[in-house]
Amino acid sequence: MKSKRFNQRMWLYTLMIFITILTVGPFLITLFMSLKAANEGIYSSILPASPTLENFVTAFDKANFGRYFLNTLVVTVIAIPLNLLFCSLAAYPLARMDFRGRSVVLAIIISTMMVPFQLYMAPLFQLAGSLGLQNTHIGLVVMQVSTAFGIFLMRQAFLRIPKELEESAYLDGANKFKVWYLVALPLVKPTLVTLAIFTFMGTWGDYLWPLLNSTESSMYTLSIGLAQLSQNFDGSNLKLISAASILTTIPTLLIFIWLQKYFISGATDGAVKG
Amino acid sequence: MSRGPVVLPNAKVKVGTQKKSRLSMRHVAPWFFLIPSLLILGTFLIIPILEAFQWSLLDYKIIAGTGEFVGLSNFKEIFTDANFWMALLNTFIFLIIVLPLNVFLPMILAVLVNQKIRGVSTFRILYYLPVVTPMVVAALMWKMLYSQSGIISGILVKLGLFDSPTNLLIQSSTALFAVSMITVWKGLGYYMIIYLAGLQSIPKDVYESASIDGASVFQQFRNITIPMLAPSVTLVSVMTIIAGMKVFEEIALTTGGGPSGATTTLVMYIYKKFMNLDVSIASAAGIVLLVLAIGASLLQMKLTSSREDDLRA
Repeated sequence: MKSKRFNQRMWLYTLMIFITILTVGPFLITLFMSLKAANEGIYSSILPASPTLENFVTAFDKANFGRYFLNTLVVTVIAIPLNLLFCSLAAYPLARMDFRGRSVVLAIIISTMMVPFQLYMAPLFQLAGSLGLQNTHIGLVVMQVSTAFGIFLMRQAFLRIPKELEESAYLDGANKFKVWYLVALPLVKPTLVTLAIFTFMGTWGDYLWPLLNSTESSMYTLSIGLAQLSQNFDGSNLKLISAASILTTIPTLLIFIWLQKYFISGATDGAVKG
Repeated sequence: MSRGPVVLPNAKVKVGTQKKSRLSMRHVAPWFFLIPSLLILGTFLIIPILEAFQWSLLDYKIIAGTGEFVGLSNFKEIFTDANFWMALLNTFIFLIIVLPLNVFLPMILAVLVNQKIRGVSTFRILYYLPVVTPMVVAALMWKMLYSQSGIISGILVKLGLFDSPTNLLIQSSTALFAVSMITVWKGLGYYMIIYLAGLQSIPKDVYESASIDGASVFQQFRNITIPMLAPSVTLVSVMTIIAGMKVFEEIALTTGGGPSGATTTLVMYIYKKFMNLDVSIASAAGIVLLVLAIGASLLQMKLTSSREDDLRA
């Protein structure tokens, strides 16, 4: 009986390790590639013969990835607090107040979530150009500072608050803004963290909009810098591309390790259940 | 629902005017909360969406900023364009490849990481790593793995599937499949979590009584786990379809839609038209994409509500 159980576990672990190789393997191969020295063959072996950080230095020094990193960081740091603020503000009356036009506003906001970005990228591109937002940080971040998805997510959270809590605050003489800030917001903290994570992921790795809006390389984000670098995708460049890829991924990995449990709950929150 | 300031019924007569001003405040206050978002969404989302609809009916020149009304001729043009139909077909094939894999593989992963054994939470994290990888990075990593001297080609030769090292991304017959594997890989952990949530809502005693009755692990999986996960299967399917219709980075950064259009999906078709400055054609194709996406969303709503009815019954 016991050995049967042991056998079952062996199989389980073997299978799980095999899947780990599939999910983590590409990272390791990329990491090893990024550590290879200049004179080493790119595909001669998977492990680097004499690991070196020179590709990372080149990425920062010559390929301008320090600048791209900074741009990405600026955009992300602007996007997260603004998106949390504006979405939680907008979601609050949509969840907790009764006013004329509420259902129309809500329906419009939710229906925009179905619209693929590729439909309106051209008008947006022209608009950003005419507003002077091309090649600016504001232009990069403008799509992320208030999102329909964020409003939807925050509204779902506000809907779950028991109304007695707000009512007692109103009886104490608090106004709507105070009730939002002092009563409602603290109760939806986990959702705020979830939205922060979604905003971080969406902004950090965003590709198409930064690609359209940035024509000057000084305004590239990491994704765009990486994509431009990869236009020369051959032996001379693969180690550098790998180093830049690792560089781009490290912040997301650190955030993930730090906020793991919120990532997990966020995945199910984000799965919009009809 | 909050009702705002409490007005007692018998106060109605005494403070009639005051009540009126409070009522108007009640209707104005929500808009103060909504203004920042409405301004941003209105300017950068809703106006561009409406413009896209307008442009689809014009022969819009983005540089001149004008265009004449041409009715439905942009739609006529895409519907008579063989490339458009090929893009539609490629999108469909892509979904056919990705859908079963996205539905089934993450389910197995979820069952594995739902076991009560040591180290299981570490595996959960390791399986989730691709989800937190920026898409551009994922695409480039896989482009490297797929290259002719890369590891995948090596494995395929060792398995005897190919005589000589081959890059799957540059063959018309395999490129779409190769690209779709990147999408599957990236989604594994995400859908695993959705299944995990579904698994954890299955009552434990169902399994207990089944194993007392002598059901094997496999029988339990087939007769309990899969049926009980039906709502999650629906959810994952629809999410896959909606996300799959919008697939972009994986393709743009690995094949660019090639070889000879083999990986040009509807989104890539729109993107190519946009890069050609055929923005009216791009808008018309975008509307087709929108209609398909709305169709999938309605399907989702219908399926999830009927599933819920099933569960209630």
